[in-house]
Amino acid sequence: MSDIAIKVEGLGKKYQIGDVKSGDFRNSFSNKINRLFRQTAATPKEEFWALKDVSFEIKKGEAVGIIGRNGAGKSTLLKLLSRITEPTLGRFEINGRVSSLLEVGTGFHPELTGRENVFLNGTILGMRRQEVNAKFDEIVAFSGVEKFIDTPVKHYSSGMKVRLAFAVAAHLEPETLIVDEVLAVGDAEFQEKCLGKMDEVSKQEGRTVVFVSHNMAAVKNLCQRGVLLKDGFVSKDGEIDNIVKDYIKLGVKNDFSQILDLTSLQRVNPPIDLIFGQISFDKQVYTTKDDLNISLSLKQTSNKTSLRDLKLSLHIVDVYGNQIYHLNNGFIGKVGIEHQNKNLYEFHLKQNRLKAGDYDVQLWMSVNGIVQDFIFGQIKLTIQEGNIYNYSRGKMILGVVQPEFSFEVIEPSI
Amino acid sequence: MNQNKLIIDANSSPFALNLKELFRYRDLFWVLAMRDFKVRYAQTFLGFLWAFIQPLATLIVLTFVFGKAVKVDTGGVPYPLFALSGMVAWTYFAFVMSQSGNSIIGAQEMVKKIYFPRLVIPLSKAIVGFVDLGITFLFMVTLMIFYEFVPSVNMIYLPFFLIMAVMAALSVGIWLSALTIRYRDFQHVVPFMVQFGLYATPIAYPASAFPEKYQWVMHLNPMAGVVEGFRWSILGGNPPSNYMYLSFVLVILLVFSALFYFKKVEKVMADIV
Repeated sequence: MSDIAIKVEGLGKKYQIGDVKSGDFRNSFSNKINRLFRQTAATPKEEFWALKDVSFEIKKGEAVGIIGRNGAGKSTLLKLLSRITEPTLGRFEINGRVSSLLEVGTGFHPELTGRENVFLNGTILGMRRQEVNAKFDEIVAFSGVEKFIDTPVKHYSSGMKVRLAFAVAAHLEPETLIVDEVLAVGDAEFQEKCLGKMDEVSKQEGRTVVFVSHNMAAVKNLCQRGVLLKDGFVSKDGEIDNIVKDYIKLGVKNDFSQILDLTSLQRVNPPIDLIFGQISFDKQVYTTKDDLNISLSLKQTSNKTSLRDLKLSLHIVDVYGNQIYHLNNGFIGKVGIEHQNKNLYEFHLKQNRLKAGDYDVQLWMSVNGIVQDFIFGQIKLTIQEGNIYNYSRGKMILGVVQPEFSFEVIEPSI
Repeated sequence: MNQNKLIIDANSSPFALNLKELFRYRDLFWVLAMRDFKVRYAQTFLGFLWAFIQPLATLIVLTFVFGKAVKVDTGGVPYPLFALSGMVAWTYFAFVMSQSGNSIIGAQEMVKKIYFPRLVIPLSKAIVGFVDLGITFLFMVTLMIFYEFVPSVNMIYLPFFLIMAVMAALSVGIWLSALTIRYRDFQHVVPFMVQFGLYATPIAYPASAFPEKYQWVMHLNPMAGVVEGFRWSILGGNPPSNYMYLSFVLVILLVFSALFYFKKVEKVMADIV
């Protein structure tokens, strides 16, 4: 019996960009007719290789982090490994039962109760009903939603849904666990719990874990080995610390690489005249020493013509709810701004000095003294482990920010 | 420890159906069917009563139009009984076909995020359909008691026709579910097929009402033979014509072609859904 858990050989996945997506009948039909009569090739469709010639092996019991920038092919690789879609080229082998958590809770049905959904989700993930039954109490206890287990899931908060879903998935006992960004949701305490569970699965129970995340601290903590993907190729494969360093280097070059659409995010109040349109960050990954440049665009939702005295606030809040930064154009005398639709608004912050971790970026805006829009709890900013003081026990440093400082010994010389 | 080895190869044969794996997921059929059943009448005032109202309404319409106005020749059988014996198989077929036709689209969130044999989704609809089948059957029995009608001995053939009904419904449903992913047009075709089928299939009238010349055209409908078979085994009377076999051959062809087409689409299902 081999000790290989996953063996990937020359794996490739091609997507076609443009029209081919669930196209309509007429298009596809007329294409076929055209080909028949004119004997020409089908209209050339743009092809895109999301993955190309990817090969690696993962041994049993190994915990491997797959990292790479957005669009590097991480998600495609996970989709292939978890059999959601099939490869265009190459092959792979997996020994033993696999379960993948590519966004938990997808099988949940809002009308069913938590209890019914546990059974539904468990069987979708490949468990037998008796298996779910046997582990039911354990699952519910882990999720921490005991009180609401007989309430329809539509009344759950998104956090509760994630907890329950992760609890089901974590009790699958697969030989190989594939995890993608599950930890992007849920509160800090639950994130800890999930990481703890994954650590237990990989280190104590000796199962194989393939983990994809943008949270470098978590990846470093959990995995011994990393595979760095770049433009669909394996760019580097090796010890996790080196891979993370390479990844962070990759991130530094980008210009406004991370753009997020804000119009579709949840709002407490309906928009008045203006709402936030887009936010862009100048980097994919920040370290403590990096400058933070954030650009905002706004979208007009009424046809009001004078939108004067624009005030924009940007808050950076840590996972415990502490307001770390509160920036507003009014504070520094940038007042009397009249909004024009083409305008972009940028906040520049020299050396963010934030400690590694996840932060919530909150936005607030007023025009003519009337609050127009605010967003909280939905925009995530991640600061990577940088250990800026080069202190060997970096984790021992308390505090929420890590300012530059110096220290001198003054010896009075009488 | 169970050593199941999984090999995925881009060059694997398109004819590998992997029924063993489907069997491993057998619990999922039940759970999905239970989910559909529980959710179906959630937040409706009449709840489960709807399952009785719908076939009853159809039966009333058919009785008025074909029984009273057109006066179809039923060979001495009370018209409501005649129509209902045809409706039993048809309602099942129509329900399973339209439900499984839309099933993959309806489950797209799951399809894009989790792997499981996709065939489970349309197949589970066949189980949900049994509830409706049971209800129309119950109606049938009630009507028989009301008219003091003694069931025919042909009843022993009913399981065979039932299996044909399941196969016909599933094969058309599987075809539609795979086609709908690529061509959403079929979402609009299905309601039309259900409506058209109710009149094109010998449900409200006997198959013999059509001239001999066109009998073969009528039996190109896979349900024509099944509906006649159902009626014959419940009510007795003249056995169905040999054209019935044409319908059955079509059902078998549909089953195999549906499975292979589905398999072909399954490979890229998550990408195009």
